[in-house]
Amino acid sequence: MRWYAVCLAAVVVALAFLLLPVVAIFVHTSPSHLVDQLSNPVVRDAFVVSVKTSVLAQLLILIVGTPAAYLIATHRFPGRALVITLVELPLVLPPAVAGIALLAAFGRYGLIGTSIGFTQTAVTVAVAYVASPLYVRQAVAAFEATDPNLAAAARTLGAGPGRTFFRVVLPLARGGLAAGLALSFARGLGEFGATIMFAGSLQKVTQTLPLAIYAEFDQNFDATLAMSGVLIVISIVLLVGLRIGLGWQRSNSTQSSSLFGLSASS
Amino acid sequence: MRLAVCALAAAALLAGAAQAATTRITVYAAASLTDVLPKLAPHDRYSFGGSNALAAQIEAGAPADVFASANTKLPAQLHAKGLCSKPVVFARNELVVVVPSRNPAHVTSLRSLARPGVKIVVAAAGVPAGDYTAKVLARTGLEAAIERNVVSRETDVREVLAKVALGEADAGFVYATDARTVAGKVKVVRIPARAQPVVAYGACIVSSSKHGAAASAFIRSLLAPRGQATLLRAGFLRP
Repeated sequence: MRWYAVCLAAVVVALAFLLLPVVAIFVHTSPSHLVDQLSNPVVRDAFVVSVKTSVLAQLLILIVGTPAAYLIATHRFPGRALVITLVELPLVLPPAVAGIALLAAFGRYGLIGTSIGFTQTAVTVAVAYVASPLYVRQAVAAFEATDPNLAAAARTLGAGPGRTFFRVVLPLARGGLAAGLALSFARGLGEFGATIMFAGSLQKVTQTLPLAIYAEFDQNFDATLAMSGVLIVISIVLLVGLRIGLGWQRSNSTQSSSLFGLSASS
Repeated sequence: MRLAVCALAAAALLAGAAQAATTRITVYAAASLTDVLPKLAPHDRYSFGGSNALAAQIEAGAPADVFASANTKLPAQLHAKGLCSKPVVFARNELVVVVPSRNPAHVTSLRSLARPGVKIVVAAAGVPAGDYTAKVLARTGLEAAIERNVVSRETDVREVLAKVALGEADAGFVYATDARTVAGKVKVVRIPARAQPVVAYGACIVSSSKHGAAASAFIRSLLAPRGQATLLRAGFLRP
């Protein structure tokens, strides 16, 4: 009983510690002040830049990451573990290192010299670089969790590989893929270090919400609170979406195994 | 054996604590002072950054003992709020334009910064270097054309320097002393005296400091002959 009380106290302390800073953002100034700040041009422009670059980056990640993840999940080849590890590398790189790496690779005098520095393309590249591992990792897991017998059954019933992928595998994995995308989107939206080093910071062009928060914090604290509030709301939406996505996949796989009397492979 | 290790660790801790209590202070200083201050007082702790960001941190209660700003406005504002002592000017500086040593955009004067397509990096508004840059631009009469070429507004002057030294930007506005720290990588284009702003560095003792005497001694050392000689060697001008 005493242990139970100790654990309960620990939960309360942990929750308070994690939630207090988030709550503080919303109670530091009056809500009407925060809402007013949403029409501040700096806030609006940063929001537009953030959404635009994030959506573009996630599209890129989806288009390249999905087939890549499917191949990795369904094939056993030499060096597979190495490939998975390398894909995850940007995930553990400190953001500042990612920024330096992008400069060294795609900077004007980089390994592959480009002139995308200081453009929205550079922001998109930075976001895609740091966020894609989250999607690919989750997508590999989602594809691995789909029952290969179902895809095999579809093939024996005459469906081609493309039809099998889009009609059988993708619907089975979509919960996990959505969860991966939500994680990747959240990470990309919060991108700071790589962006400021590789793309710079200019209102309406490369200044994303995190960059604007940093630039404004000594100038207009209310604006930084408003932008933080916006990011928190988006994060909560993504988190809830993530729960739903993962829950959905789980119920999906139980359903499929009960339907076909096959045990779901892990 | 274990006791000996413990005693040794305790002794080391005590020695460290004693040293911290007597001599070590924390100096919040403008990014442009990054190279010179540790030469002058190598034992103190430093936090370098945009003076405006540092002032905001001090206002939020950061544990600084001395604030050394790249202007006099920010310490004067803190002083007016009772957050630091009356600032003293300990050095001056000059603003210059730096270009990568290969000078890809052929920048040779302020006028050439107005040519379309030149990628210019400046410090953000509120950052002292950014405010000085705005003053210079207003005096050139080419403000609109040069502003159009600005591709990034950085959070401190050393970020501006880094982007030019890397060759990512074609030109940037920094202090003359910054340019000297990466001499081989950048070339300097001087700003004519009539467009030159007054760049004065102000230092003050943070009111909440627990090491007031040491903080005061630090500021005195900046003004003393040895401090001034070190600042001059780094390219700063007399106060």
